[in-house]
Amino acid sequence: MEKLLRELQHADVLRQTRRHFLQSAGFGLGTLGLGSLLGSCGPSAAGDAAGAGDPLASAGIPQFAPKAKRVIYIHMAGAPSQLELFDYKPELEKYHGKDCPAEFLEGKKFAFIQGVPKMLGPQGKFARYGQSGAWLSDYLPHLQTVADEITFLKAMHTDQFNHAPAQLLLHTGSARLGRPSLGAWAVYGLGSENRNLPGFIVLASGGRQPDAGKSVYGAGFLPSVYQGVQCRTGGDPVLYVTDPKGMNRNIRKQTIEAINEINRQTYEEVRDPEILTRISQYEMAFRMQMSVPEVMDVSKEPQFILDMYGVKPGEGSFGMNCLLARKLVENDVRFVQLFDWGWDGHGTNATDNVEGGLRSKCEISDRPIAALIKDLKMRGLLEETLVVFGAEFGRTPMQENRNGVVMPYMGRDHHLEAYTMWMAGGGVKQGHSHGETDELGYYGVKDRVHVHDLQATILHLMGFDHEKFTYPFQGRNFRLTDTEGKVVKQVIA
Amino acid sequence: MLVPLLDASPWALFIGRFHPVLVHLPIGFLLIAALIELGRRTGKIAVSESTVVFVLFWSAVSATFACVAGYLLSLGGGYDEDLLGAHMWKGIGVAVFAWVAWLVKSDRIGSKIAFGKAVYLPAFAAAVVLTMTAGHDGGSLTHGDGYLTQYTPEPFRSLAGMDPIEEKAKEVKPITDIQQAVVYKDIVQPILEARCTQCHNASKKKGDLRMDELALLMKGGENGPALVPGKGAESDMIKRCLLDESDDNHMPPKGKPQLSTEQIALLAWWIDQGAPADKKVSELTVPDPVKPALASLGGGSASGGSGAAKQKESAIATLKVSPAKEADIQALRKAGLIVNTLSQDQNLLEVSAVNAPNFTDKDIALLIPLAEQITWLKLGGTQITDGALKDVAKLKNLTKLHLEHTAVTDNGLAEIKALPHLEYLNLIDTKVGDAGLKNIAASKTLRSVYIWQSAVTDSAVAQTGRQNPALQIVNGFSQAEVAQFLKAGDSTATKPVASKK
Repeated sequence: MEKLLRELQHADVLRQTRRHFLQSAGFGLGTLGLGSLLGSCGPSAAGDAAGAGDPLASAGIPQFAPKAKRVIYIHMAGAPSQLELFDYKPELEKYHGKDCPAEFLEGKKFAFIQGVPKMLGPQGKFARYGQSGAWLSDYLPHLQTVADEITFLKAMHTDQFNHAPAQLLLHTGSARLGRPSLGAWAVYGLGSENRNLPGFIVLASGGRQPDAGKSVYGAGFLPSVYQGVQCRTGGDPVLYVTDPKGMNRNIRKQTIEAINEINRQTYEEVRDPEILTRISQYEMAFRMQMSVPEVMDVSKEPQFILDMYGVKPGEGSFGMNCLLARKLVENDVRFVQLFDWGWDGHGTNATDNVEGGLRSKCEISDRPIAALIKDLKMRGLLEETLVVFGAEFGRTPMQENRNGVVMPYMGRDHHLEAYTMWMAGGGVKQGHSHGETDELGYYGVKDRVHVHDLQATILHLMGFDHEKFTYPFQGRNFRLTDTEGKVVKQVIA
Repeated sequence: MLVPLLDASPWALFIGRFHPVLVHLPIGFLLIAALIELGRRTGKIAVSESTVVFVLFWSAVSATFACVAGYLLSLGGGYDEDLLGAHMWKGIGVAVFAWVAWLVKSDRIGSKIAFGKAVYLPAFAAAVVLTMTAGHDGGSLTHGDGYLTQYTPEPFRSLAGMDPIEEKAKEVKPITDIQQAVVYKDIVQPILEARCTQCHNASKKKGDLRMDELALLMKGGENGPALVPGKGAESDMIKRCLLDESDDNHMPPKGKPQLSTEQIALLAWWIDQGAPADKKVSELTVPDPVKPALASLGGGSASGGSGAAKQKESAIATLKVSPAKEADIQALRKAGLIVNTLSQDQNLLEVSAVNAPNFTDKDIALLIPLAEQITWLKLGGTQITDGALKDVAKLKNLTKLHLEHTAVTDNGLAEIKALPHLEYLNLIDTKVGDAGLKNIAASKTLRSVYIWQSAVTDSAVAQTGRQNPALQIVNGFSQAEVAQFLKAGDSTATKPVASKK
């Protein structure tokens, strides 16, 4: 025991001397490293590293005037079938039940399909809507009413056929962990427009988080102050946001000030930027105690708004998240990320399929999405706010035959060659369709858009040249689109 | 060797294309020779006569080659006959007179010619003058008649009796209502002018085809008719556009701006419909595949209230102002306002009072030092009244103005209607009424105004909307619209009609 104690003391002395050495000798070195870490070359992030201020208060400067000041990104995790909703393929109907042509299978890998699957005709009834003549199915009766606001990207494609890596690729530009997400880049580049709310808020529904976890809205190697803040959809939006009994606002304020003072001293000593993040988060949390319950309170919304979104105050749902997203952008939150889980229509059971299962997911989501667009428009927000809808990949024109067995329900496997996403508002064309797939919806044959191209386009709409918007980390400049991506100019109004 | 060259063989065209390269040699040589001669005769420089004669010799040689190449180039065809003839004979004249001037001075022959000395200067002068005029004709052949003097400035313009400069009168005017657009004049002709008529016009009719007038387009060129009315797919002009770009018969030629798929679809559709001269879109049948192409022209939903698909660029894309003083920005931040710079290099500012609900008319003076820089201003939900708008009117580069949930009225709007760049105005939940809307709608730059929960009446929205089709007036939803929305299956486009909740 005594021996152990002595060993402990010895270790302590060792650690202390090392720390002291680093503190005295390495101070210059440390600040040097920090300077290079924070002296980012992308946006002129003035004040970003300057002093122990609030990193969110002073914004960066975009390379050109943004068309989209804010983004609402609706991600349907699991990936809905484009062939049932957006990409009408009458030819596929004719091949329904026939063997998949060999050329579609040679050298291809699928998540579950094995051997030779059968083709699966579209399950929805399609028609053209709006003056733009957008093809939409009867799964989306409400989206039809806003078709003329939307630009469809019909030939999206990606590199990954499993949920988690594909979600990471879509949101962080890389299929591996560790990169900042689109929302983090946006807030890092543009700053927050409201001092009392986080610049990047995440709302999830569908009973599960996206497969890739919190990394899809993380800050990666950016200071963690830029990561997405997840709020709850029902009840208290942020847990423990109200002061406990016996704690009044003044005591809370003093407590936080004291903690921050200590943190500031530590920052002066070690200059770890994460300390700044912590300080600003304490301050933000204090302000959020007032601002968040107010912003997230839907009880004062007019009844017809609640009806259009199909929500009841106090009950969390995807519809509620759409309404909250509107309220958040109304209060100038820069980036609102919505996730909804439950779109993985393999056909394995009564909910995960492209017939009834997909239909009931659409019944829950179609109306609030259309209501969101109408609501944004009515309030003069749509032209400043980019709404993005989509998933990590699409679904195959073939019916899934997991383990060589035909599934009990109509289902499709993950498909990376071609799928549909759409954007509305925020400087994209109204009533436009970009890209085409082949007659069976397998490959994009015209104007294909890779997820990196989508990222480049979203950044462009927010005022950034994706090739110049970088952050130095581990010896090189990183960017969201890595080494790829091309802005899809044709969809910009 | 020479005989096959005289046909339009590949060799002939290959050499012919060198005409623009070769032609500059005699021009330079002759002028140099003339300058040296001038300097010699006025005693400014000390050079022998043989120097001039040497340069003259090479002028004559290069002029001869230029003539040959020029003739071979002309075999390719497509030039205005009269102009070409004048250019050719003047060019030949340059070569001939250059040879004459050289001959009379040359060592061997010069002494044998009688009156040689008397001929020298006139021949030399003729060569120089002809070089100028032939050069001008050549320029007109390449760039079109009147290219040189197109932008003659005043007062020389009126002195020369020229018409005032056309202010790009051909500029395509935006289509406000696609259904009322005349297909040839508003859709087809602008495409042809943008992509075809540069080479198929009055002075440069390549392939003997002119596309600048409908009748001439119908007539066709040396390869027969350019189009077969009623049969787009069989029409030469469509087939050529659809050929692979590397194909020799592809049009427009490789390297020139190409037609988009939509443009080709529109041309083919117009021909399919019989290539009418004055039919409107609404009078023709529009098959489904053509609809997106038509929609891409904009104005597709002028009656649907969802605005033109193609807007003209906002003023903020081009505005550039001097940098703001940091102290002025800090003063705003101290007052609780958020100040962001819109983009690098432009120095425009975005100012928001979203965290300053107690902002009043008195605080508005803080904005004045930044009157040049502020282009987006959000004062929604603050305590401001009409009094503040007097100062807002001084923010001359303002493009977006949020006044929602404030006490502003028609009187205040009268103050800001003259803002020269205002594009966006949010008046939701204000006291603004019909008079205010009509007043502000007179603005030429304003694109969208939001008036839900204001005092504007439905009839004023409808009337103002009719008078200003380019202005998007967005109101709230009527109860009927909400009910219709809630009923699934509604297939009409969004149409924010008057009447509020």
